[in-house]
Amino acid sequence: MQPQRILRLTVFNVLAALIGLAAGLVVVAATGADVGFALNILIFYPFSDAYNIGEIFVWFTALLIISLGIGFALRANLWNVGGEGQFLIGSIMSMIGWKALGGYGIPPPIMIVLMLLSAALGGVAWVAVPAILKAKFGSNEIVVTLLLNLVAVGMLFWALDGPIRGRFSAGYLISDVIPPELRLPLLIPETRLSVAVFIALALVVVMYILAERTHFGLAVKAVGKNPEAARYAGISIPKITVLSLLIAGALAGLAGGLHVMGVLYRMDAGYAETGFGYIAIVVAMLGAAHPIGILFSSFFFSYIMIGAQAMQRAVQVPFPLVYAIIGIMLVSLTISQYLVRRERVISWPFTRS
Amino acid sequence: MAIHEVLTLDFFIASLAITMRIAPTILIASMGELITEKSGVLNLGVEGIMLLGAFTAFVVSFITGNPWMGALSAMLVGMLIGMVFGVLTVYGGVNQVVVGLGIWLAGFGLSDVLYRIFFREVASPTVNTIGVMPIPVLSDIPIIGPILFNHNPLVYLSLLLVPAVALFLKRTNLGMRIRAVGENPRAADSMGINVYRTRMIAVLIGSMLAGLGGAYFTTAFLSSYVLNITFGRGFIALAMIYFGNWNPYRALIPILIFNYVDSLQLGLQSVGVGIKYYFLNMLPWITVIALIPIFGRKAQAPAALLQPYRRAG
Repeated sequence: MQPQRILRLTVFNVLAALIGLAAGLVVVAATGADVGFALNILIFYPFSDAYNIGEIFVWFTALLIISLGIGFALRANLWNVGGEGQFLIGSIMSMIGWKALGGYGIPPPIMIVLMLLSAALGGVAWVAVPAILKAKFGSNEIVVTLLLNLVAVGMLFWALDGPIRGRFSAGYLISDVIPPELRLPLLIPETRLSVAVFIALALVVVMYILAERTHFGLAVKAVGKNPEAARYAGISIPKITVLSLLIAGALAGLAGGLHVMGVLYRMDAGYAETGFGYIAIVVAMLGAAHPIGILFSSFFFSYIMIGAQAMQRAVQVPFPLVYAIIGIMLVSLTISQYLVRRERVISWPFTRS
Repeated sequence: MAIHEVLTLDFFIASLAITMRIAPTILIASMGELITEKSGVLNLGVEGIMLLGAFTAFVVSFITGNPWMGALSAMLVGMLIGMVFGVLTVYGGVNQVVVGLGIWLAGFGLSDVLYRIFFREVASPTVNTIGVMPIPVLSDIPIIGPILFNHNPLVYLSLLLVPAVALFLKRTNLGMRIRAVGENPRAADSMGINVYRTRMIAVLIGSMLAGLGGAYFTTAFLSSYVLNITFGRGFIALAMIYFGNWNPYRALIPILIFNYVDSLQLGLQSVGVGIKYYFLNMLPWITVIALIPIFGRKAQAPAALLQPYRRAG
C-alpha cells in the first residue's frame, strides 16, 4: 500500500470511530447525565494510573489476537462473527486441559504450553463446524458462527457445572482457581498485565508474514479479491475457506486461554459477557484486515473501551451502550469511506489492489 | 418428573400449539427478508431491526394501551432503519455485510439502553397483548383445533403471509421485477426496470416485516419486556431462507421444525425433566446447525445476492 492510501484510510477510519463515539455521547446526554463529565472520564481515565494503563493492554492483548484472526479470514471475504464463542471455548478448554493433565506431574512451563494448545484447539473445533458447512454446503458462515456463540454460552454453564466446577463453589457457577505456578507471569506488579502481551505482539509479525509473504497468504487474498479468477488459477476455494477460518478460530481460542491464565485465573457465569469477539470484528475492519493496521486499531479500541467502561460506570449507562457505539461505528465506517472516496462500491483493501 | 411421564398426548398438543404461537416472530421476519434477498440484497441487520421493533412496540403499547398501535409503530421503525440500510447499500453501494452487522449491534445496544432509560422509574412494566381469536367451529375440532385454530390474529396472518409472499413474487409485476433485479440486474436495467428503486422497495418491505416480527414478541407473545428479547432469532430467520432455498413454502418446514424444538425445550424446562437447562437452551441452535446438511444441500441463492449494482457508463 502507498503511504498516501494508508494516511487516507486512517483518517476515514478514525473519523468513523469518532462518529460512533459522538452517537454514544448523545445517548449519554439522553439519560440526563453530565456530558462534559462523561467525556472527561472517557478521554483521561484510561491513563490516570498504572493499573488503568495495564487494563488498556489487557484489552489490547485479547482484541489484537482475536482480530488478527478475524482480519485474516476477512481477506478471503469470510466473516467470522464467532470470535466471542471461540474465545469462550478457548478459555474453557485451557481450564479443562489443566484439570485433565493436572495430576501427572508435568512441569509447569510445559503445562502452560499444553493449556494454551488446548485453548487454541478448542477455538479450532468451534470454528470447524461453520468452516466445513460453508465449504461443503455453502451455508452462510456469519449465521453459523453466530449461532455457535449462543451454544458456547451453554457450554460455559455446562463446564462450570461439571468439569471445571470449583471445589468451594457451593452451588454458584464458579470454577476452581488456576494455581500460581500455572499463571502467566505479570509484567508490571499491581496490574493485571501479563507477558501475554508479548505473545500478541509476536503474533502480529507471524500473521504479517503469513498474510503477505507466503503463497498461502496470497492465495487467501486472491480468493477474497476474485474467487472466479482464483479458481481459474488452480486455488481450491473450499480449502482456503476452511484453513483461513481455522486460523481465525485458533487465534480466538488462544486469546481465551491467555485471558484466563494471564488475567482472571478463574471463570464464572459473567465470563459470557466480555464482548471481545464482537468488538474484534470492528477492530479488524478499522485495521483494514492488515496486521499492522489491526495493531493500531486494537490499541485505539482498547483505550476507548477502558474509557467507555469507566464512563458507563460513572454515569450509570448500561454496558450494551458499547454495542450501540460500535454498531454505529460500523455504519459510519461505510459512510465516511463513501463520502471521501466518492465511489459507488466501497471495496476494502482486501477486495481490490 | 421422568421423561416418559412428561411425553403424553396433552404435552404434544400443548407443545404444537405453542409452536404455532411462537412461530410468527421468525416466520414474519423471514418472509420479509426473503423478499429483500430475492432482489439481490442481504440485510444482516434483521436481528437489530427485530430488537428495536420489539422495544418500540412495547413502549408504544405501554403508552397507548393498544398493542396494534405498538405493532404498527414497530413496522414504521423497521422501515426507517430499512431506509438507512437501503440508501447506503442500494444507492451508495457500500458493503451490505458491514452495514447489516452495524445495524444488528446498534439495535442490540440501543434497545437495551433505551429500555432501561425509558423504564427507569417503572418497576416491571407490562402491556396488553393482542387477544386470542378462536376460529368458530374449526377451533372445536379435537387435537387440530387447539393446535391451529385457537390463536391470536397475527398467527393466522403470518401463516397467510407465506402464500401471499409466494404469489407476490411469482404473479405481480413488482414481484417479477424484484426477482429480475436479484438475478440479473444489468439485464433488468436494459429492460427499463429501475434497479435501485426496485431493490429499495424490497429492502423497505423486508425491514417493515422484520419490525413486525420483533413486535410480535411484545404485542402478542409476552406481556413484559426481556433484554435481548429476540435472542438470535433474526439470524435464525436468515438461515431459514437458505434452508427453504429462497422459496416461501419450502421455508415454512424448517421454520416449524425450529419453533417446535424451541417450544419443546421450553415445555421440558417448565415441567423439569432432569435434563440440565443449559443443554435444553442449546437445543434449538444446535438443531439449526444440524439441519444445514439436510436442507442446505441444493440451496441456490439469487445470482446477484450481495452484489451492489453499478450502472455502466
